[in-house]
Amino acid sequence: MLRYIVNRFIQMVVVFFLFLIISYLLFDAIPGNAFQNLLLNPSLPPYAYEETIALYGLDQPLSVRLQKYIVNFFKGDLGYSYIQFPKTAIELIAERLPRTLMLFSVVNILAFYTGFFVGKILAWRRGSKSETWITITSVFSYTVFYPWFALLMLWFFGLRMGWVPIGKFLTPSKWYDSPFDSDVVFLEMIKYMVIFSVLYFVITLLTKEIESLNLRRNIRLGSFFALLFISNFYWNTGQLSEMRFYAGDIAYHTILPVLTVTIVAFAGTALLTRTTMMEVLKDDYILTARAKGLSQKRIRDRHAARTALLPVVTSFIFTIVTIIDGSVLTETIFSWPGMGQLILESVLREDIPVAMASFSFIGVFALIAHFLADVSYAFLDPRIRIKSQG
Amino acid sequence: MDTVNNSENNSLKYESLKRNFNLFKQSKIGVLGLVIVAFFGLLALLQPFLFLTNIWDEATYHPVVGYDSQKIQATVVSCKDIDYPTPEYKTPNDCPGPEEVNIVAVAPYNPGIQEGDVIEQFIQPAPPSSKHILGTDSLGRDVFSQLMEGSQVAFVLGLLSAIVGVGISTLLGTIAAYFGGAIDAYLMRQSDLVLMLPTLPLLFIISAFAELQVWHLALVLGIFGGLGGSVITIKSQALQVKVKPFVDSARITGGSRMKILISHILPNVAPLALLYMVFSVTGAIASESILSFLGLLNIDMSWGLMISVAQADGYINQGMEYWWLVLPAGLAVTLLAGGFYLVGRGLDDVFNPRLRKR
Repeated sequence: MLRYIVNRFIQMVVVFFLFLIISYLLFDAIPGNAFQNLLLNPSLPPYAYEETIALYGLDQPLSVRLQKYIVNFFKGDLGYSYIQFPKTAIELIAERLPRTLMLFSVVNILAFYTGFFVGKILAWRRGSKSETWITITSVFSYTVFYPWFALLMLWFFGLRMGWVPIGKFLTPSKWYDSPFDSDVVFLEMIKYMVIFSVLYFVITLLTKEIESLNLRRNIRLGSFFALLFISNFYWNTGQLSEMRFYAGDIAYHTILPVLTVTIVAFAGTALLTRTTMMEVLKDDYILTARAKGLSQKRIRDRHAARTALLPVVTSFIFTIVTIIDGSVLTETIFSWPGMGQLILESVLREDIPVAMASFSFIGVFALIAHFLADVSYAFLDPRIRIKSQG
Repeated sequence: MDTVNNSENNSLKYESLKRNFNLFKQSKIGVLGLVIVAFFGLLALLQPFLFLTNIWDEATYHPVVGYDSQKIQATVVSCKDIDYPTPEYKTPNDCPGPEEVNIVAVAPYNPGIQEGDVIEQFIQPAPPSSKHILGTDSLGRDVFSQLMEGSQVAFVLGLLSAIVGVGISTLLGTIAAYFGGAIDAYLMRQSDLVLMLPTLPLLFIISAFAELQVWHLALVLGIFGGLGGSVITIKSQALQVKVKPFVDSARITGGSRMKILISHILPNVAPLALLYMVFSVTGAIASESILSFLGLLNIDMSWGLMISVAQADGYINQGMEYWWLVLPAGLAVTLLAGGFYLVGRGLDDVFNPRLRKR
């Protein structure tokens, strides 16, 4: 087993090395470079372009640049941004990443819960008319043409109804005389969200053993509202009471993106749950549970849904890997200044250090997830373990 | 003797096809998907037919260079910067109203015109009429014809990329499962590598140094889809087939490796591959629409481009006032992608006995 993991780890490092080289070559293949607009500026002397290029080392041959980049990369130096010069690539990512992660983790949690709930009911009501219609609706909400749908949502809720702001991260006019940096407020919000989720998770764990399904649900719901009530006091203490106004502004801007992405994302989970649940319902132990005379709801929630959860959670973990990749469109349409916009901008303007840093960030994320998945499969399934060793 | 065997074989195949189709018919959603796909297929075939039989004139109905002007009689009014609401108009946006035209807009071309005159005006985009079922867009082109052209593009691209992708992934997946060892490790790491590259930014890079035609994009999407995650899925399916007793007995009776691979393992992986193909059509159609929506494809007309034009001209923000520019293209992408997905669901019921009714 240890040999397998070590072997797999070495392969992983080789793959990452290749990934870096391929990405760098891809960026290099884009015609032009980040400083070409200097050539178009008539008030600059002609040597300005050459000197800037030389300053950034872009006049050196590809092999030298590639070698330098990779050596520096493994030293932990990812370079300065070409476009936003004094900032380094790591600083830019550290600034943008929390926004993307926050938005999409809220979306993913919401989508996971609603999707699993809907899918569970769909499989249970198999063959009924409502099942067919809900399935068809969720298929179309899964395959909806996303940019079009997002633009229509913006039009309806933002322009026609005027309920929510049209894109952006905050309302600048409210922040003119703000004593806080928006990132500080945002980090405070993330802290609050994390505390809230951990507390709720602990409550869920504590109530796990309660036999009566109704009582369990009521306790969980009650404690959820109790937590909301307590958080009211939390936001009234000390500095937080001043931040509350600004945090509210940011939260107000997240409503529409969260709603839109959730509508699109929940359907995938619902359809997957439906399939796995239908397979589980064929198993013998469900028949046994029926024969024992357990209530329908108990069979559905305690016996079938538990088993059906496993593949859904696995696919959920892989969804998390694709968050940054998938955020490009959403963030462009809703003008949400996160990782997606950073990648798009850096690729289009050939800001190679930033683009490479974000690419390698995504790459490491994906590699680790695949590694963990492989290793856990190998632990669980001896057949795969033997075969992977060859 | 051989021919008898063959015909028997054929009738057996026909029987099983019929039985499978009957199973497919039982799932309502599969049939609905098939109807949707057939509808768009019909649309795609109808357009060349209409042009060839001269029912549609190319100059009027061509999706890219066609032009048709719609004339209306408009009353000339003047919209002043006065306090609204006035007796005629509620807000500044209502002036000029329907069948009215602002004098500022027409005065330079019609010297001596006065308020209250009636003149002929071209309207673009024109609302749906009997001549143009879905109206015309801002350049006077027929939207329905564009929709048909778009469905041709979607079918070609979706099917081509799905076939290329599934062909590659089935071949590599079965090879990885059957041979194992170094080949398996290489193929798996290769698919890791492909999965690590973020799709949309990667397509941006590719479109920056290559002029992407539709079939180029189909190949790119097919190859990346085929080398990526689907290899892993198909490999896991092939691993399950590999440990079945009939593979062992084929080996014991002296079947060569290629023979076992081609005639025993591949046919058993094929249903899953077909299923995968149908699902990947959905993804390919969505990718094409997104890329042409962002203006990264070198393409004359497609559904994504129609929405891109509608958005660039600002019609999406006007909502349902110009619904014939906003709704048809977006709905078409959604429906066709969803149709293929529903067909896939129906096929799933056929191939996966565990999903059938209790």
